[in-house]
Amino acid sequence: MKRAFNRRNFLSVAGLGLGAAALAACGGPSTTGAGAGAAGAAITDWSKVKPAAKITFMSSHPGKSANVEAQLIKEFEAANPGITVDLVTGGANYEEVAQKFQTSQAGNNVPDVVVASDVWWFRYAIADTVVANDELLATVGDKTDGFNATLYGDYNYAQKHWAVPYARSTPLFYYNKDHFKAAGLPDRAPKTWEEFAQWAPKIQAANAKKAGYQHAYQYPALAGYAGWTLQNVLWGQGGGWSKEWTLTANSEASVQAIQWVQDTIVKDGWAGVSSNDAVSDMTAGAVSSTVSSTGDLVGTLKAAKAANMNIGVGFLPGGAVSASPVCPTGGAGLVIAAKTSPERQLASAKFVSFMTNAQSTAKFSAATGYMPVRTDADMTSVLATTPQIQVALDQLKVTRSQDYGRVFLPGADQEMADAAAKIMNEKADVKATLTALAEKLEGIYTKTVKPKLKS
Amino acid sequence: MASTMSALDSAGRRGRAGGSRARRDAWVFLALALPNLALIAFFTYRPLLVNMYYSTLDWTLGAMDATVVGFGNYVEFFTSPDAPAVLGATGIFTVATVGGSMVLGLLVAVSLNQKVPGRTLARSAVFAPYVLSGVGVGMVWLFIFDPVYGALSWVLRSVGMASPQWINDPKLSLVMVIIVYVWKNLGYCAVVYLAGLQSLPQDVMEAAALDGAGPLRRFFLVSFPLLSPTTFFLLITSLLSSLQAFDIIKIMTPTGNGTGTLIFEAYLQAFGAYNRAGYSAAISVVLFVLLLIMTGLQLRFVERKVHYA
Repeated sequence: MKRAFNRRNFLSVAGLGLGAAALAACGGPSTTGAGAGAAGAAITDWSKVKPAAKITFMSSHPGKSANVEAQLIKEFEAANPGITVDLVTGGANYEEVAQKFQTSQAGNNVPDVVVASDVWWFRYAIADTVVANDELLATVGDKTDGFNATLYGDYNYAQKHWAVPYARSTPLFYYNKDHFKAAGLPDRAPKTWEEFAQWAPKIQAANAKKAGYQHAYQYPALAGYAGWTLQNVLWGQGGGWSKEWTLTANSEASVQAIQWVQDTIVKDGWAGVSSNDAVSDMTAGAVSSTVSSTGDLVGTLKAAKAANMNIGVGFLPGGAVSASPVCPTGGAGLVIAAKTSPERQLASAKFVSFMTNAQSTAKFSAATGYMPVRTDADMTSVLATTPQIQVALDQLKVTRSQDYGRVFLPGADQEMADAAAKIMNEKADVKATLTALAEKLEGIYTKTVKPKLKS
Repeated sequence: MASTMSALDSAGRRGRAGGSRARRDAWVFLALALPNLALIAFFTYRPLLVNMYYSTLDWTLGAMDATVVGFGNYVEFFTSPDAPAVLGATGIFTVATVGGSMVLGLLVAVSLNQKVPGRTLARSAVFAPYVLSGVGVGMVWLFIFDPVYGALSWVLRSVGMASPQWINDPKLSLVMVIIVYVWKNLGYCAVVYLAGLQSLPQDVMEAAALDGAGPLRRFFLVSFPLLSPTTFFLLITSLLSSLQAFDIIKIMTPTGNGTGTLIFEAYLQAFGAYNRAGYSAAISVVLFVLLLIMTGLQLRFVERKVHYA
């Protein structure tokens, strides 16, 4: 019996092929609650586990730390002959590393140790993609009481720690000493923003004729971490993004604080908003002061020296309601991936402990300007070469953990940056914009965080 | 009777031979087509179907568990206050970049079609941006547009003007990426239009000239209608390319400040700050359906207006 292979047969075969491919592809996440999160909760007897011979460390090399990270890895391998560490560049910033770490969860080759910023570790914790490190660190003999209590405490959730502090930072007030001197001002950072508001017109007037000069103060680029850098102004005025899980972005104090920010740009005209990098704007001579991370300190001082410019650093200014503590902690920690073997997790714990011990954190701090994360870190030689780090060390004693509203809500930083852009660049109504922001953040909390909180 | 039997035998042999040939042809066809079909199915249609499945989930990127929400992500997208902004940015970006690239490309093509000295060099120069990396182009233009130390701000300051806030102001940042995208892609339109112009029948042009039609009338009444197959081709390719534009937008406005087109919003939702992989998949499906509809409409209605020479 003859049967020609006609168009209908062809389409049938193609359809069957496609259907088979589609069915084969419908893997992805489990919709029955039997994902790896449950498996990750299995109890491990760490005393019977032998560390793996090789692990992977994914980093964005914060503060241009690729060289010092490689050097610390060599020292770790020398101290732990049975373990080698593969350093992988996961991107140019925390977000790119997070993207790679999260997409790697779809496969079976996740990096073992990952740099996770203040807004990422919590998401990993509630998604069960990282493990709590308390037991692991105890197994490798790390007495975590050596960590700076505030910095280590930042990672405490559900009575466990989900990361260890690594490239931790705070914002600092950076100023051009020559510009301040030209305005007849003292060589120091302002104590409060109110004091700076009195200084700013003088700074602006004294430097206005300099080529390319723009503003007495430059707000950091909003696309970066607006929620972090504006936290200080909010706290100073008695406001904040949230009080624990209660959103306060549109409280009277918060509205007043952000209204003050808008006025400095729109009404008073002595402040601007950076498009890219406020520190670069300052080292280009376009602005007299800004706020930036301690992680930028060493690089900024080098750039200033090359530009024959005198840069000073000081505490973040306080506000009318609160002078201290108004400095938020920030930066990144190290997390240990859940989707690996206990052997790899144990080797990772050894590595994490080494990278953040007193000697390593002092070296890392010297190379970058990030905070030493252990209280017993010897900073003598670091301070001899970069005495400005002492300001950051002193400020560390009066820091405050960030509002939940910024660090624990996925996308909150983006929403805050969008709201800030409307207020600071488009002159939008402050109260209405912050109210819309608070509603949006509330929606994110209710929909994506609250149902996943661990008891 | 004998002759009838002989005819039947002969027909039977021909039938068996024909059937055998058809089966052989079918196997050859399958052997040649199936590998390609399998590759396309696996690498193109499989991700498409999987993405459709993911769009029905409330799934955080990286999480091992997800919840089935049916059409919930679609409902959320179309009822969210962000939808008009995303669809608006997509519409403005697409219309401006397709229109800009095609109109400017046509003008450049007409200019390059004249016999002027150095036109070969000019043609290469016009086409060069098209082959450059979008990432590199974005970074260079970002430096040009920077309001503090950008080249454009230096030029404006030298004539006593302040630089607009190209990057910070969401409306201007959309304009900025449109300018850069058009700059990069008009060379493609120009080269395709130039090829079209050079293939126009000269006898028709000469006849029009003899009839007293001036250059403008010849262009609008003769050349442009005859270029309609080229215009149709460019319209489809440019439209699809613009709706999928990503690299320049990502480099110049990494958080999508005013430039949240459908494809970039899908990226931001999954791989940016939100990690909402299911919601992002739903936005991707919306984009896919939009592309299907637009291509269908073009094939159905625009092609009718095309004059093939």
